[in-house]
Amino acid sequence: MITKFKLILFSLLMLMILSCGGNDSNVETIGKNSNVAPGLASSSEDNTSKTRDNIFRLNFSDPPTFDPALVTDTTSASIIVEIFSGLVTLNKELEIIPDLAESWEISENGKTYTFKLREGIKFSNGDDVTAEDFKWSIERAANPDTGSLNAEVYLGDILGVKEVVESGGSIKEVFGVKVINSRTLEITIDEPKTYFIAKLTYPTAFVLNKEYIEKNGESWIDNPVGTGPFILSEYQIGQTLKLKKNINYWAEKAKLDGIIMNLAGGVSMAMYENDEIDITGVGLADLERVKDPNDPLNRDLVNVPPQFSLNYIGFNVNIPPFDDVNFRKALSYAVDKEIIADKVYSGLTKPSYSIIPPGFPGYSPSIKGIEFNEELAKEYLAKSKYSDPSTRPRIIVTIPGTGGSPGLDTEIISDMWNETLGIDVEIQQVEWATYLQDMNRKRLQLWAGSGWQADYADPQDFIDVLFHSQSDVNHGNYSNSEVDKLIIEARTEIDNNRRFLLYNQAEQIIIDEAAIFPLWFDTDGFALVKPWVKGYEFTPIIVPKFKDVEIK
Amino acid sequence: MLKYIFRRLIWMPILLLFVSLIVFILGVYGPGDPIEVQLGNNYDEVNADRIREKMGLNDPVLVQWVRYVGNAAKGDFGKSYVFKNRDVSELLIPKLIVSAKLNIISFAIAISLGIPLGFYAAINYGSSKDPFVVIISLFFYAMPVFFTAPLLILVFALQLDLVPAAGWGGVFDKRIILPALTVGIPGAAVFVRLIRASMIEVLDSDYVKLARAKGVSEIKVLWKHAFRNAMLPVVTIMGFSLAGLFGGSLIVEILYGIPGVGRISLDSVYSRDYPVIMAIVLLGSSALVVANLIIDFVYTLVDPRIEML
Repeated sequence: MITKFKLILFSLLMLMILSCGGNDSNVETIGKNSNVAPGLASSSEDNTSKTRDNIFRLNFSDPPTFDPALVTDTTSASIIVEIFSGLVTLNKELEIIPDLAESWEISENGKTYTFKLREGIKFSNGDDVTAEDFKWSIERAANPDTGSLNAEVYLGDILGVKEVVESGGSIKEVFGVKVINSRTLEITIDEPKTYFIAKLTYPTAFVLNKEYIEKNGESWIDNPVGTGPFILSEYQIGQTLKLKKNINYWAEKAKLDGIIMNLAGGVSMAMYENDEIDITGVGLADLERVKDPNDPLNRDLVNVPPQFSLNYIGFNVNIPPFDDVNFRKALSYAVDKEIIADKVYSGLTKPSYSIIPPGFPGYSPSIKGIEFNEELAKEYLAKSKYSDPSTRPRIIVTIPGTGGSPGLDTEIISDMWNETLGIDVEIQQVEWATYLQDMNRKRLQLWAGSGWQADYADPQDFIDVLFHSQSDVNHGNYSNSEVDKLIIEARTEIDNNRRFLLYNQAEQIIIDEAAIFPLWFDTDGFALVKPWVKGYEFTPIIVPKFKDVEIK
Repeated sequence: MLKYIFRRLIWMPILLLFVSLIVFILGVYGPGDPIEVQLGNNYDEVNADRIREKMGLNDPVLVQWVRYVGNAAKGDFGKSYVFKNRDVSELLIPKLIVSAKLNIISFAIAISLGIPLGFYAAINYGSSKDPFVVIISLFFYAMPVFFTAPLLILVFALQLDLVPAAGWGGVFDKRIILPALTVGIPGAAVFVRLIRASMIEVLDSDYVKLARAKGVSEIKVLWKHAFRNAMLPVVTIMGFSLAGLFGGSLIVEILYGIPGVGRISLDSVYSRDYPVIMAIVLLGSSALVVANLIIDFVYTLVDPRIEML
């Protein structure tokens, strides 16, 4: 997933926007024993002696949709996984585990999956969940009338989905999904793809209540009925979103009675200190303060594990001067990332010299990256065909944003290029939608301020997706036949060790050719969690996580 | 009189048509596209184009515009692209009401502080009280909200613990106090300066001198002769504040956690949510036209010399 890099935080306004949330409380709390709106609850120490509502309070933003078939964004997805569920899900270790399906079998040719549903599973309104509901949900998601933007991405491997998507609504049946009996579902895909099962953890493949939706029409989404650990109990756009425990949930019921999400904004840190919310992220501005052991907030400080992401500067190898590998290498050698990480980001970011992030499957510490070296930088510049400044094409680095000031790293890097190599770079800032458009058309010459975040835990998501010459997301037009060969070989390789080795070989070539200039890997972030909140875990990928949270 | 109002109102739809056409053209020909923003890394030209076709985004601009205007005339402002299947009106109306409530309270603070203080400064023109008031009001006028808002939160919510740090509970909830002051006090400063300048000018005019010479009591001079005349420029500014009644202040809303229209206005532009952008722009333009009309009307009440023609 393309991500705006979080170091944008440094511009003041962004800092405020990102660290803001709010607390609405013109609301009665979900718990029965309370008529005190949470915002008015008195603050500080005396709270520990009171009986606390079994309600988890946090800042959030408006989810664009509750319909699993329509979700394209992480905000919606993180709520949908609490209300709905599917055949399989991810646990907090990011392994695929059975959810509504208790087991499944894969045919010998690897194309037919037979799912056995659990016995007695029910929707939150008490209706039984049947294999027919699954078939109907997949057909509904694929039907263009539903308006799903990514049905094809997540379900397109299933035979018949493409036909439904492309028919414009005239074909309704997905022939690759068969109902064997009310508890057995058979799904046939076009080719043996081991990663297919992982796609079923995404909301697009979740099960919906056929009867309920057909009865209520479009308005069903105002009171969605699902199979997740929680139920949507109230939603006021821009104000508040409340979830309550689903008593019909098939597994162990949620420990919380409910969750209150404030959607209106507010200064998150201040609200946390005032006991209006139970959890908040910590921005750079507050970090020093809460890291001080004498600060009362210090005992609440927890580490947030890094996201699997890479922030980099992209070169478009079709546009001069970046068509010259020596020129790209010169730029890469000229930047001292260690100094930037240390002095500018106070160690909050980790310089990267390769592509696959540490801790991610397929990460190899033995990749040899391009490290800061002034002499080599000058040497490569002299070797390149653009060594003469008078004939060198104009260089413009495009960054996303509206703050008017580029990220500090971009500024310092362009300074380093200028000092070491005498190369002038102009910085051009465009807002996100424009940036995306130019990037998708592959017409940016040099770009910074964004990165790549893993959508699933496989190195294929970095190496194949970003660097195969035919990939849509290969925004720099990088093309190397050797790399392509390794990637294609990896696609069908069954042995994981060997497969990762193939990716690492490709990775080394990509790095040697300076196809991109890797900047930062994510590092631990920080958050504050109230001492009475138990069982909340931060995960680098969206998984259902509220059902294990407790207020004690 | 009625004829005049009627004539002015007749222009309104024509004006709105122009505004909507311009915004429409900017949206379609400007860079970026709602489908692209939502698809992110799953963007694929064929798929995106199929969706655009389905949503009618591939039709010629004029066709889209006529369709939009036709629906809008029937009161249907369409559905948001980002907030799936939600009517724009359902999305915006609650936020507009919140913003309007906050703005009315702030406006009341601005008027009730600003007008007496300005008046006070003017009648003390020449003494040390005048520059004192002016300096104080300039001080508050010059303070940006992204400075005052966190300061107020720090003092009144965190240190003194008098009010919650953020949230919204309507007009009669104590959480409205800080945001209303944040918006209202700089607003008051505007009125102080305006009333003061206007009063000083009027107090120096011949008819006030004449009234005083005739022996009219000072109170009567100030109220009847001076104040009413000095209100004229103030009415203009009040009118424009009125036009902004349904507008949101992004920074204030975000810092205080107020569910107003400020943030959705900005977000809808970034995500290219055209139906939402259109509705906000049309509403803003209508408010401006109506406010202008009201200003003109109030002029005739304040100053009998002005007639509506």
